[in-house]
Amino acid sequence: MSGKGLAAVNYGECMACGSCVQFCPFGYLELGKTGLDDFKKEYPRLVDGHRCTGCGICAEHCTVECIEMA
Amino acid sequence: MRGYIGKILWVDLTSGRIEEEIIPDRIYENFLSGVGLGAYILYRDIPANADPLGPDNILGFVSGLLTGTGSVNTGRWMAVARSPLTGGWGDANCGGYLSPAIKQCGYDGIFFKGQAEKPVYLFVDSKGAELRPAGHLWGLDAVAAEEALKAETHTRKRAAVAVIGTAAEKLSLISGIVTDGGRIAARSGIGAVMGSKRLKGVVLAGVKAVGGLDRAASKAVSKELSTKVRKQNLPKWVPGGLISLLGTVMSKMKTAAPLDGMVLAMMMKRWGTVANNGMGVTSGDSPIKNWAGSVVDFKHSSYSRLEPDRVVRRETRKYHCYECVLGCGGLTDIKDIGRGEFAVTHKPEYETCAAFGGLLLNRDLDAIFYINELLNRAGMDSISAGGTVAFAIECYEKGLLTPEMTGGLELRWGDVRAITALVKLMIAREGVGDLLADGVKTAARKLGAGAEAYAVHAGGQEPGMHDSRMDPLLGVHFSADPTPGRHTIGSGQYYDTMQLWEKVSWAPRSGSYEKAGEYVPSEKTALKTVASSCYKELTDGAGGCLFGMILGVNHWKLFEWLNAATGWGKTPDEYMEIGRRIQTLRQMFNLKHGVDPASLIMHKRMAGDPPLTEGPLKGKTVPIEEMVRLHWKAYGWDENSGAPTVETLAALGLDELLVQEARS
Repeated sequence: MSGKGLAAVNYGECMACGSCVQFCPFGYLELGKTGLDDFKKEYPRLVDGHRCTGCGICAEHCTVECIEMA
Repeated sequence: MRGYIGKILWVDLTSGRIEEEIIPDRIYENFLSGVGLGAYILYRDIPANADPLGPDNILGFVSGLLTGTGSVNTGRWMAVARSPLTGGWGDANCGGYLSPAIKQCGYDGIFFKGQAEKPVYLFVDSKGAELRPAGHLWGLDAVAAEEALKAETHTRKRAAVAVIGTAAEKLSLISGIVTDGGRIAARSGIGAVMGSKRLKGVVLAGVKAVGGLDRAASKAVSKELSTKVRKQNLPKWVPGGLISLLGTVMSKMKTAAPLDGMVLAMMMKRWGTVANNGMGVTSGDSPIKNWAGSVVDFKHSSYSRLEPDRVVRRETRKYHCYECVLGCGGLTDIKDIGRGEFAVTHKPEYETCAAFGGLLLNRDLDAIFYINELLNRAGMDSISAGGTVAFAIECYEKGLLTPEMTGGLELRWGDVRAITALVKLMIAREGVGDLLADGVKTAARKLGAGAEAYAVHAGGQEPGMHDSRMDPLLGVHFSADPTPGRHTIGSGQYYDTMQLWEKVSWAPRSGSYEKAGEYVPSEKTALKTVASSCYKELTDGAGGCLFGMILGVNHWKLFEWLNAATGWGKTPDEYMEIGRRIQTLRQMFNLKHGVDPASLIMHKRMAGDPPLTEGPLKGKTVPIEEMVRLHWKAYGWDENSGAPTVETLAALGLDELLVQEARS
């Protein structure tokens, strides 16, 4: 739960389901254009102006384990 | 944590009192959460024959047991209440992001009783819950109301919001509850219950922990599925039109065999549910011209205008619901339609395309996009709305509705200007729209003069856009489910792809079989429909998605996820007993509120009485009464009345609940 690093999304694995966004307790994640979009999808990214606190809750709730606390 | 929180929130809208109720573990072990917990609470607490639009009805928002535990396609929430449309058990479920948000507020469900004097909304975060005035929001459409609530509450964490649109405010019996900018829990007239309570919305912004016992085990199963799904892609050269051709081929085959559910995953990923737009017509799955026509009336020159490739041409974004690996949703650009009234609408579902396409002989796809947004904003069920427009056109054709009654509106098949105008009148409850805003059963009763002959429904609910004359097992679910008219409970096709026999000892194996055999009542087909509906109730208790469910038990592993989350270590057969218990309690709910199970049997047209004279379903009839009797019997319900027997109630442990209810 309590990591020290920043959330890094492996976009090759990410399904864009938004579970991480839903569970980010700070509201620092959003679904948006990443430049890596496939099939017109929007993927999780940090909201402009915010830094990840490294709490790890998003990674815990990622069902396909594509988030690493780097 | 074992998947569930163990607590629900009660909100009394009459007194304004808000309190918590602790739910014992044994209730979850008997009913799961979602529809099961909802059935337990509503059976226990709604007095017999309470007015569905009165203060004694209870409206619940319930999360699925598996939501947030590491499983996938298990993020749906369930709205439950006594239905004002059918008079019996009412539920409607929806994806989006509300299901996890309910749990993040610290509850498995939020239940409303009473009636507010003035419009209110409920705000809940991790600190608590409060009712706030919503007079300034009353009259706003659902999309505007959601935006206003998000701006007004301004939570740090992204809030999940459920609202009603203007249709529910006006107590339309075909209105629903709206989330995520136009996704609707649409069926059972559940929106009217919310409207009657003057509850405009619910805003959920909690950040509490959610999880199951063994998240790693759940995720391992999820990863296996997501890896499979990621690899399943249709070649880019496969056009949507080819799928329609497949429908034609299927309609000519005398035999059927179980398909692997992953075939469906490929189509859902590529197009979403609209993959069936053309195939539904050619195979006979889509009802045409108010269930009285066929592909002969809605030819290639018409249905090809609604092909899936044409729908996704407008798609600007594909999206997934929470915890979903399929991603069938989409947002579409409609700025160039009409006078640019709307910039965007959710990609219309197959159900909407069929209800406003072949059912009305309409081939104008742009009009369907526009009507989709009108209905989403109003919060009106597009299946029921399309069915009601079809009823109105046929009544006009037969002279039961006159130009004087329609205000000069000439209702003709395929006339999109008249269809759109009528939808607007229904939403506003103006003129003839007021007559039609409560669905076909109410409208036919008010019209009289034999209008019932054209009012296609089951127990008051307009049926989903799948033809029971093509799939007789679907007809049993339309007619025997406590929420009649639902295409989502089960069908022969779903049964084949779910492949329950792989894990459930008593589910009949479905190999290659003669389609004609499905039209003959038998104990085997009855066991299939019982197994399908037990599994669907289990799925709805877990928060599962229909499209996950029909991937099949070897791909979407519900039993494994339930054990990982709860640690109960139950066998699939034991879980199926939970499904049977939930379904039996829903049936008991209907009996408690005076709904005769035999009264839910679908409209004659849906059973091929009289049979169609053209098209792929030519001459098909379904002996529905006999099939329903066998279904009841296989459930352990009386085959003549549909009432669960004393022995069945005792075997399921429901007798104890009934005794408690009698004492209270």
